[in-house]
Amino acid sequence: MAVAVEMLNISKFFPGVVANDNVSLSVGEGEILGLIGENGAGKSTMMNMLYGMMEPDLGVIKLFGKEVRIQSPNMAIKLGIGMVHQHFMLMPNLSVLQNIILGKAPTKKGLIDTKEAKEKIREIMDTYDLPVDLDEKVYQLSVGEKQRVEIIKALYREAKVLILDEPTAVLTPTETDKLLDVLRLLKSKGCAIIFITHKLREVMAITDKIVVMRKGLVTGSLDTSEANTEGLSDMMVGRKVNLEIDRKPYQPGEDVLEVKDIHALNQRGLPALNGVSFHVSRGEVVGIAGVEGNGQTELIEAVSGMLKPTGGQIIFKGQDVTARNVRQRRESGMSHIPEDRLKMGSAVNCTIRDNLILNRYYQKPYCKSGILDNKKLHALSEELCKNFDVKTPDSDYKLGTLSGGNMQKVIFAREMEADPDLLIAAQPTRGVDIGAIESIHHKIIEVRDSNRGVLLVSAELDEILSLSDRILVMYEGEIMAEFKRGEADERTIAVYMTGAKRQGGDDDEK
Amino acid sequence: MKNKDNNRILSAVGVVGKQVGLIVIALILATIFLAVSGYEPLAIVNGIFEGLTLDIAGTIRWATPLILAGLAICVTYKAEVFNLGVDGQLYMGAAAATAVAVNIPKSMNHVAALVLVFLAAMAAGALFAMIPALMKVYLNTNEVVSTLLLNFIAALYVEYLVTGPLRDPEAGTNLNASAILNENTWLPRISYFEPSSANIGFYIAIIVMLVLAFVFFRTAFGHEIKVVGSNPVLAKYSGMKPKKTILQVMAMSGAIAGIVGAVEVTAVQHRLLAGFNPDFGFDGIVVSLLANNNPIGVLFSGIFFGALKNGGINMERITDVPSAVTDIVTAIIFITISAKFVLPRLKRKAAGKKQASEGGK
Repeated sequence: MAVAVEMLNISKFFPGVVANDNVSLSVGEGEILGLIGENGAGKSTMMNMLYGMMEPDLGVIKLFGKEVRIQSPNMAIKLGIGMVHQHFMLMPNLSVLQNIILGKAPTKKGLIDTKEAKEKIREIMDTYDLPVDLDEKVYQLSVGEKQRVEIIKALYREAKVLILDEPTAVLTPTETDKLLDVLRLLKSKGCAIIFITHKLREVMAITDKIVVMRKGLVTGSLDTSEANTEGLSDMMVGRKVNLEIDRKPYQPGEDVLEVKDIHALNQRGLPALNGVSFHVSRGEVVGIAGVEGNGQTELIEAVSGMLKPTGGQIIFKGQDVTARNVRQRRESGMSHIPEDRLKMGSAVNCTIRDNLILNRYYQKPYCKSGILDNKKLHALSEELCKNFDVKTPDSDYKLGTLSGGNMQKVIFAREMEADPDLLIAAQPTRGVDIGAIESIHHKIIEVRDSNRGVLLVSAELDEILSLSDRILVMYEGEIMAEFKRGEADERTIAVYMTGAKRQGGDDDEK
Repeated sequence: MKNKDNNRILSAVGVVGKQVGLIVIALILATIFLAVSGYEPLAIVNGIFEGLTLDIAGTIRWATPLILAGLAICVTYKAEVFNLGVDGQLYMGAAAATAVAVNIPKSMNHVAALVLVFLAAMAAGALFAMIPALMKVYLNTNEVVSTLLLNFIAALYVEYLVTGPLRDPEAGTNLNASAILNENTWLPRISYFEPSSANIGFYIAIIVMLVLAFVFFRTAFGHEIKVVGSNPVLAKYSGMKPKKTILQVMAMSGAIAGIVGAVEVTAVQHRLLAGFNPDFGFDGIVVSLLANNNPIGVLFSGIFFGALKNGGINMERITDVPSAVTDIVTAIIFITISAKFVLPRLKRKAAGKKQASEGGK
């Protein structure tokens, strides 16, 4: 088994930060390397250097024993390196086929030879069990399918080294299992794979070797057979991690939110919510489980005021708020952590401070007759950065300079600062590392324990199970089942998630 | 903290340096063009130099509308809205200013008359900008197209006015213009620069610039413009009203464009002339771009383009170099700024090397 990639003594400096300090790693043909670490640990920087997006300041990269200087992603692709980014690099309005052959189309007499291209891609799809409809437009695909397209794209360009940047962060449990199968298949065909993640279960399940990074340094490099999850998470975080959270006994108070028979349409004008009713009391976490795209997004938008329901009522703290706008709902004590922190929750081109003050910038004492008190706003944002452990030297830096986990902390800080009676948290830990998950989970339970309500939506069943006092299962815009904490396990819930069963409907489960 | 301030100053110097670099490149290319075409090679550089020294009055005359047009552009640009209709809005402003001015009695107080005229111009510009703004907000029309096309309507409307309802009855057959306005509606010229038509519109431009800078950097509304411009979904999610913000910035932009029209009519021409506007609106785009859409920067880039325009006109008068050459300089600057990706890339390379050598120590 030959060594495919060696990155030796790599260092990379950014103004004021050492992103990588003397980091070495190697991966052989037919081997899967797990690269793990918290957000901002320097994993992505390492991979960006391997993929030619930037060059190391010190150290060498060797490919199949030969020293190389990779100056651009184009060069990386030519050298046989493929990368599947966390945020997909696809053209939504082009077909799958067009996306795959983009820039490398087989031609016949100057025209694109679609037949040959299709044949070649079919072969890849069959070999690696990656079925996708080639003629469909990319925007019509599910997240899992988009990812498959990315992998096919890399293989079509004859990648021998495949980098996957947090590939499972956006996948459902079944899709994740499928992806892991594909990776095993690729491995058996001699592909070298670097798998970036912070889900330790997956690392343990699929990798051969593990490199753990923290603050730009390698804190552990070992064979998977010698590793255990606790040891790994300690290496990642640099201290003991505690995901078991103590909580006060369940004593729900008055209702803070009541949703009555809500109907709503999605962006394409199709029914997304078909009569959803439930309530959230003070002192409880209500978790909404379900496969993504079953109306959770629309439900949250309807509750927070971004989407106008076509029917039904939303009662917040005893008042009908159905007709009220977002700002009025926020001012009356509703906070919302959105599921997509880049598209909805933040502005990466603005400063951290600009992002932190969104609930306050127009209010006294931060603003008097329309004029901002920049000193007070700065003090506020500095304090929030400190209290919520946002790692930045100053809140005047652009938000885009932060890692995903730190961005999420900024959003969390902003929403918690408003001192909400109801916290709507959608995918609060998507794409963030264990250390951040720990602190976010603690904060959510803190909200609950201080006699306020939490509406939690998550694609991670683990998260729903460990945090919720009550669990609602959504399928195609309807609530299929409701469980109390401890009443149901992952498997029972999964049955309702797929719509195979319905409580009180065709059986008498309750 | 001190370090941070230093960084800020450094980055500000860097931005300014980059823009000055662009200007130098453009001037060198234009000089080469002149040399190749057999004209006096240094004509344009001399022209600008003269504009900034001996003939500062002419520079200020041209800088005034350019600064205002640049400010009109930069307001909307901050909110990621592209108002290519400044020309149309300033025509409407000029028309409204004239319509009000010819109806103002001679006896009216000078200041009051001017205030009325300018308010009318601002309202007309803002209202005319509302057409594409409302279409964008409620019908999702691309404002680049709608604002651009409305320019023709406004220009032709002014032509109709000065050949019809507002035409000076005593004018010769060839002149399409309104009657000369009463003197109490004239915006005073700067006496120091007499007999040039440099006027106190320049001070108005500075005031508008200061107001905008204050709005952008110090007010809640400025924060809203920034957030709407960088992520409208975030704006909606956090409870702002992006549609309202877009209407507001378009109204502001139209009002500023209206001021340009009023200044040209009341201070320079003293009457409404068909086609009096040499595309100030489009030049405003370059003015704003060169200033990185920063209102304070617009002041300086407006003065630069004023000197360029003035220099070009002087150049044509003295030498046989056509003043259109200045358009070439403008075009080169425009293209160079648009090619934004080149400089950051070179800079990144240089920075990488520098850090590598520092890291090696």
